[in-house]
Amino acid sequence: MKLINFLIKFLPTKPIYAHCDIPCGIYDPHAAQLAAQTVLKMVQKINELDSSASPQNDNLNNRNNFVRMVKVKEEHAELCKREVLILWTDYFKAEHLEKFPDLHDLVWKTTKLCSDNKRAVDEVKAKELVEAVDKIADIFNQTKK
Amino acid sequence: MTHFPLKRFTVSGNSMLPILKPGQDVLVWCWFVKLKVGDLVAFKKDGKGMIKRIESFNGRGIFVSGDNESGSTDSRTFGPIKKNQIIGKVIWY
Repeated sequence: MKLINFLIKFLPTKPIYAHCDIPCGIYDPHAAQLAAQTVLKMVQKINELDSSASPQNDNLNNRNNFVRMVKVKEEHAELCKREVLILWTDYFKAEHLEKFPDLHDLVWKTTKLCSDNKRAVDEVKAKELVEAVDKIADIFNQTKK
Repeated sequence: MTHFPLKRFTVSGNSMLPILKPGQDVLVWCWFVKLKVGDLVAFKKDGKGMIKRIESFNGRGIFVSGDNESGSTDSRTFGPIKKNQIIGKVIWY
């Protein structure tokens, strides 16, 4: 084996990547916005289902719909958090922070809102999430100009 | 098919830990490669050479993944790869 180790050094080599992240440079806040809007829609639909609930319509279909809505809300709140964090960690640079000094705080509050929306069925919190993600998207779009 | 059947590559990145470490050399055989699940393969992705392990084959192509899943961008992210993207099979590391 030592001979192979020695001989192999005579072959030309190129790097082969086993990287954890390809710097593809493709970033878009739209995915986070869609996820936030989905969270809001699910909260509204869960509230509608709740306001129309009665012993007469407490059937299997309604319960099934409720579980599906909660599941979609949970998944999209998580997706929203992930998409916002990708923008934060991979896209935004120091020069963006100089221009938008509130960005760190905005991202922090937005990701907290994602968690709040997982925990609760609260239309006010869901609307706050949509607004916060829209603000991040607005900053993103300004950095592209 | 490439001109020379044997290629040397030097690993960059952590996605194949603990088997392949950054800076480690691998030898890749490029001619008449018969692929099977579990093989370590070098392939081209967006003009760059990458190294991963074959996890499965299906109608859409070859699904590759990193051994160190938490630190790997692979078919879970970019989807399956095609046979013509394969550079060769790792035969020595």
